[in-house]
Amino acid sequence: MKIYVCIKQVPDVNAPLQIKDGELIQDADRNILNAYDASAVEESLVLKEAHGIEIEVVLIGPEKAKETLRKALAMGADKGTHIISDELVNPDSFVYAQLLAAFFKDKEYDFIFCGKQAQDTDAGLTGSMLAEFLNLPYATNAVGLSLDGSTLTVKRQGDAGQEIIELPSPGLVTCSNDMNEPRIPNLKGIMQSKRKPVDMISAADLGIDITEEQIKTRVLSFEEKPAREAGKKYEGEPDEIARKVAQLLDTKENVI
Amino acid sequence: MSTLLTFISVTDGKIKRSSLEVLSRCNELAAEHGLKSAALIISDKASEASEEVKAYGPDEIYTIEDPIFKNHINAPLLKALSSAIEQVKPQLVAFASTESSKDILGALAANRNAPALADVSEFELTDNGVKAKRPVMASKIISAVEAKGSPVLLTVRSGSYDVAESSSDASVEAISFSFDDADLKATLKEIIGAAGDKIDLSEAQTVIAAGRGVKDEEGLKMIDELASVLNAGIGASRALTESGVYDPSLQIGQTGKVVSPQLYIGIGISGAIQHVAGMINSKVIVAINKDPDAPIFEIADYGIVGDLYKVLPPFIEELKKVKNN
Ligand SMILES: Cc1cc2nc3c(=O)[nH]c(=O)nc-3n(C[C@H](O)[C@H](O)[C@H](O)COP(=O)(O)OP(=O)(O)OC[C@H]3O[C@@H](n4cnc5c(N)ncnc54)[C@H](O)[C@@H]3O)c2cc1C
Ligand SMILES: Nc1ncnc2c1ncn2[C@@H]1O[C@H](COP(=O)(O)O)[C@@H](O)[C@H]1O
Repeated sequence: MKIYVCIKQVPDVNAPLQIKDGELIQDADRNILNAYDASAVEESLVLKEAHGIEIEVVLIGPEKAKETLRKALAMGADKGTHIISDELVNPDSFVYAQLLAAFFKDKEYDFIFCGKQAQDTDAGLTGSMLAEFLNLPYATNAVGLSLDGSTLTVKRQGDAGQEIIELPSPGLVTCSNDMNEPRIPNLKGIMQSKRKPVDMISAADLGIDITEEQIKTRVLSFEEKPAREAGKKYEGEPDEIARKVAQLLDTKENVI
Repeated sequence: MSTLLTFISVTDGKIKRSSLEVLSRCNELAAEHGLKSAALIISDKASEASEEVKAYGPDEIYTIEDPIFKNHINAPLLKALSSAIEQVKPQLVAFASTESSKDILGALAANRNAPALADVSEFELTDNGVKAKRPVMASKIISAVEAKGSPVLLTVRSGSYDVAESSSDASVEAISFSFDDADLKATLKEIIGAAGDKIDLSEAQTVIAAGRGVKDEEGLKMIDELASVLNAGIGASRALTESGVYDPSLQIGQTGKVVSPQLYIGIGISGAIQHVAGMINSKVIVAINKDPDAPIFEIADYGIVGDLYKVLPPFIEELKKVKNN
């Protein structure tokens, strides 16, 4: 059995951000493995340990994103493909899904795992786009998985509760970070990752040529969030401050 | 005349208020641009719901009714949406942002070769598409985005627009639909923890959110009591959904739900950016935390610094008094 996990390198949302002339500037240039993708990798490794599955990670990103690919290999994935995207201008989820679809076209696999969303864009589109391009049944926002033969049982967080879905192979799942706690690579994993095979290919190698005009959505600018001023802090006797605030919510805010 | 199509989300016969918010916005845009605003109801009880939707002023209502839509299953929903798009040929299809619409947005975009924008907080029409704003980077900043093409597909955060009632005598047209079980490659086996008659968090006017500071049965009981006094929905931080204290569907934040109530009360919650991403649009924010430096105080209108076990009893008692007056 083989599982592919699609992973993205994203700027660390915890690092300080600045906006200058509509552009986003992250001085620290701290980039990480998308947390939701880390959960997808973790989940694939849990299945690997129980069922002996081959795990390959695929990343579309600039040259410098290779450290993120290495991280997934250090966690325990067997192999990686790095689709170099330095020449792509402003790709959106649709473009990533098209590239991934071209990559998967002639591949054999049982399941593809994605993250439920990229932490930087919070789009949550690529996974189900890819499923549709590849004509695969899929489940998004998975919070739990189990494998029985070639059928994956997915617990997904839906609107009404948790939906239990049986997904036959081949299929696609997008993972929430609520499904596990991704492992931190240990020294042995890091050493081994250096010897694991990584294919480097370009978008052109996939036979795909995407011009900027074809891109359907684009970011025009970034803006500061309208600041939310800190209000008043109430310190002192619990009984007093609690009653005070309760009254203000009624008389001043009218929200009781 | 081109159409703006709003998907009306219906569960157990109940219309989601956030989809009426989206419909109201589309009505407004249609009037501004001389377009038609239409509602699309895909449900096991679509015709019933269509009567109710008339009170919210669409020019037309399209329905697709089939028992398969009793629960959310992505393959038939995608097929139904595709049929509706083929028939109506809208320039925009707008959804309230729910787990169900997020589940199919990407696939529908791929299927229709159409642009998609997820989770927008504002949108307007342009000559060849849509301009919108969406919170990104765990809602730390806003990105102004543009989508070109047709139809533009978008999901809209709850609370972004007000619901405007305006009755209409919209015609109701049923779109024919059939679904072959053989197309149903994935199977929905079961739904667990269905919310039943509980208050829908994403639409609640008052939200009480509990965090790691709430440590035991006693604390949980106080949360319940506060919620019942205020008729509030209960939500939680990841700390308490992860440990199983609360159902994962109650998580508020980047991974969980977005809430935009009149009143949000965070209790024993530090205010990590991923949590704040889901509640920053609340009108009034109250935080109860014993650490005066907790980040949640940077955004709280009322920050009560204190031990929640000491603060909550008088707080609840006072609110009861206020309520009874
Ligand atoms: C990709 C990603 C997505 C995430 N998505 C979400 C999400 O959707 N929602 C979410 O909530 N989190 C999310 N998180 C987790 C988030 O980063 C925080 O870890 C989480 O919100 C912390 O929850 P908390 O505030 O309850 O706990 P803590 O951060 O541990 O804070 C507990 C607070 O309680 C206070 N306290 C303790 N005892 C008392 C007392 N007796 N009285 C008063 N105050 C007390 C403490 O001072 C402290 O401030 C996500 C993380 C990642 C990486
Ligand atoms: N550049 C990329 N390379 C590999 N996988 C990606 C890439 N972009 C998105 N994905 C996958 O698609 C998921 C959702 O991305 P998004 O649609 O941007 O929210 C991510 O969690 C990844 O699993």
